[in-house]
Amino acid sequence: MANYYYEILKLCGFEDEEIEEERSRIEKSFERLGIGPEDMEMAENWVRQNHDVTLKGVRKLLGAWLKELVDLVLARDDGKKIVYFGFPAILGPGLMLSASSEDVFVCAPDMVLDHTMGQIFNKLTPILEAGEANGLPPGHALCSLWQAKVGGLAMEMIPVPDLALASSYFCDMGSKADDLVTAKYGVPAAYIDGVMDSKWGEYPDYLPERVHYLGAQINQALEKAEKVLDIKLAPDAWERSQKDSRGFVNNLLRLLDLMRADPVPVSIVELELLEALSGSSTGRGIREGIKAMEILLRELEDRVKAGIGVTAKGAPRVMTAAGHCSDPRVTRLVEDVGLAVPLTMVLSWVGGPKFKPKGNYTTPGEKMADYELATGNFHGTDGIIKLFASGAKVMKLDGFIAHYLHNCRPAALGSQTQKKYLEEKTGLPVLALEIDGFDSRSYSAASLRTKVETFAEMLKAKKRSAKG
Amino acid sequence: MKALEKLNSHLKTRLTDLSKAKEQGRKIIGYTAGGYLPEELVLACDAIPICFIQSGDNNALKDAGAYICRWLDPFWRSQIGYLTSGKDPYYTIADLIVIPITDNHIRAFSNTAGYYTPEIESFVFGVPHVKDELALGYYLQGINRLKKKLEDFTGVEISESRLKQSIQLCNRERELFRQISLMRQPEDFAVASKDFVALNHGSFLADKEVMVEILESFVKEVKDSTPLPKDGPRILLTGSTLARGDSKVIDIIEDTGGVVVMEEFAEGIRPYWGKVKLEGDLMANLAESYFMGRVCSGWFRPGTERLDFLIKLAREYKAAGMIWYQLMYRESYKVESYFFPDILRKETGLNMLTLESEYDTAETGPMKTRIETFIKTIRS
Repeated sequence: MANYYYEILKLCGFEDEEIEEERSRIEKSFERLGIGPEDMEMAENWVRQNHDVTLKGVRKLLGAWLKELVDLVLARDDGKKIVYFGFPAILGPGLMLSASSEDVFVCAPDMVLDHTMGQIFNKLTPILEAGEANGLPPGHALCSLWQAKVGGLAMEMIPVPDLALASSYFCDMGSKADDLVTAKYGVPAAYIDGVMDSKWGEYPDYLPERVHYLGAQINQALEKAEKVLDIKLAPDAWERSQKDSRGFVNNLLRLLDLMRADPVPVSIVELELLEALSGSSTGRGIREGIKAMEILLRELEDRVKAGIGVTAKGAPRVMTAAGHCSDPRVTRLVEDVGLAVPLTMVLSWVGGPKFKPKGNYTTPGEKMADYELATGNFHGTDGIIKLFASGAKVMKLDGFIAHYLHNCRPAALGSQTQKKYLEEKTGLPVLALEIDGFDSRSYSAASLRTKVETFAEMLKAKKRSAKG
Repeated sequence: MKALEKLNSHLKTRLTDLSKAKEQGRKIIGYTAGGYLPEELVLACDAIPICFIQSGDNNALKDAGAYICRWLDPFWRSQIGYLTSGKDPYYTIADLIVIPITDNHIRAFSNTAGYYTPEIESFVFGVPHVKDELALGYYLQGINRLKKKLEDFTGVEISESRLKQSIQLCNRERELFRQISLMRQPEDFAVASKDFVALNHGSFLADKEVMVEILESFVKEVKDSTPLPKDGPRILLTGSTLARGDSKVIDIIEDTGGVVVMEEFAEGIRPYWGKVKLEGDLMANLAESYFMGRVCSGWFRPGTERLDFLIKLAREYKAAGMIWYQLMYRESYKVESYFFPDILRKETGLNMLTLESEYDTAETGPMKTRIETFIKTIRS
């Protein structure tokens, strides 16, 4: 039983029988990923240092990511038709394809690499460097998530897909990098186009034209996927995809309730694991992730009852949009300086005001488009910022850490505006923090610490003076 | 050239003329660069279109720093700088700002205009990133909304006859630009790139009828002019934006002996290849010409149409080399600049030099060295 990977898999929530059952797949995929016995000590220390592995739910979440990684690496060997989508994405089309055929594997491979090669094995750097050497050079604020994808392909760690589902409704980089993959590997792309052309302040309103256009683009992309993959969408694909994601959303609502507690029962590092999984996997990863979430929620309920948290009771409460995808140290930094994080973008999305979709649309594409525009994610910058602002009262926040990713244009363009808007609307202090959410080589925890520490001290002093 | 002198003289008094027009009740419609706003609609309601096309000065970026981080295209950050600082009166004289949203860099400008300068009303509509019937329909809906907005804003109905008249005027302008550009295809030609670019930039600010007269005079003058010296290699210059005030690259190319024979840019050079049809549904014709008919910009996906067009231009204009001038952080162009050189070399045998700018004076030295080396390589 003493395989070199036994300990790390146990840390990642694998049961003995799972390890046994998966043995050949694990070995084959690890070999392709360049993971060997020499990496185990680092990986075990890295996971123990950065994740709360006393929680079984967290271990299982890490395991869910690992299983997604194995399935990704071996998708071609498994005879799957492979579809990659860009992150962040409207997940519906991928879920529908997954629900329609067991022969189709759909995921966001860059996110999988970040969460496994980054968060578990601390071996992301060579992959990023390969991405830089293959079309996405450093120093130009290009997306490091895409560098991981291009690097993974260049290093032949992940298979060349049969189709790219390009999220042309959000960022320009992603779809253009899909063009790069097409130029290098001949991968056909189904562009799901949309235009974020709302006027500032328009949210929660939006024109029906936006729904029609984005919806029709989704439907068109699904038709193209059927042709390219030679599959038929299952008649109930939409309903099944909804059923699959409903469990996750319901659990998020339970989680939101638990995060109201003081002290906050779980680190944003662990929240990030489950939030990101829901936007990256349509297969085994998310199915296992939902199971892990159930376990985690029970554990957190116990913690809340016992008054156990990740920071001291009474710690200032701040919102950050999301955790770091590949380096948990950057995320953990906020809690290390004594700030509790009860709210993230995903939680504000389920906990914020319920803006209902506007129309009675019939096609899956239009239903998805209507929903996404109503919830603000792909509506525009003001939609997202308004969601953050709405979370302040719900979670009794003391401040915001307003991250913006320097190498993601849709995120970077809100840099100063979100700070000003949140300060004005909520009256709370906001620290605008420039980071790279997927690559910690330039924006490391060490380089960010001074800013966050100062902000934390200020919030603590403010709380003390408020108490008198 | 007398035509250029006339243009300069017209532009010298342009702001005063615009102020007077405003006093007389005419509306000034400022709009963002990219070529997706049909000026015909503005002209047809007796308003005055003014394109925001100034850039190249690093100080504008400093002004923008209070509103946006540095990781966006410097041209668009400059637009934010000019608008918020009020240092360039063309940006504050507008009664309404129309923003066709193309990529996220324009969205940054749109958000800033909406949030920080609400005193100047803005109107946005979207430009899709793919070319198909759905996208065409979306663009058409956008310009139909714009038509209605302009009618409400100016109180002038855009009738069929007014629209037809303005299309004829704009077609004439496009035709003249095309004619001037094509004059550079033969080995001997007399149109300097700097002049062609100056005409283009001027056309974004000038009165349309005056501009057409200037272009007509220019064509006549060129026909009687002595050809430019032809010993330098013919260069096709392409990129995202060639702003008014950003003359660094053309200056260096010409100083080092190269001859720019073609400028293909999404922003800063007017799309002049097509013509809007005058028969049938005029709004549909505008959409067809401004969206489907024109060669797409770099942020379209896939971008193959534009890349194929560059190859065609390189052949037709007998280019000896291509210079790809992109602005920092314009990711669409950056990514294409990686894989296009191989395609270009395979198709035409030409080499491509990639240059990047953030409107920093410190760039001039290294840029000059690179261009000199490129020109020498072509010569050898």
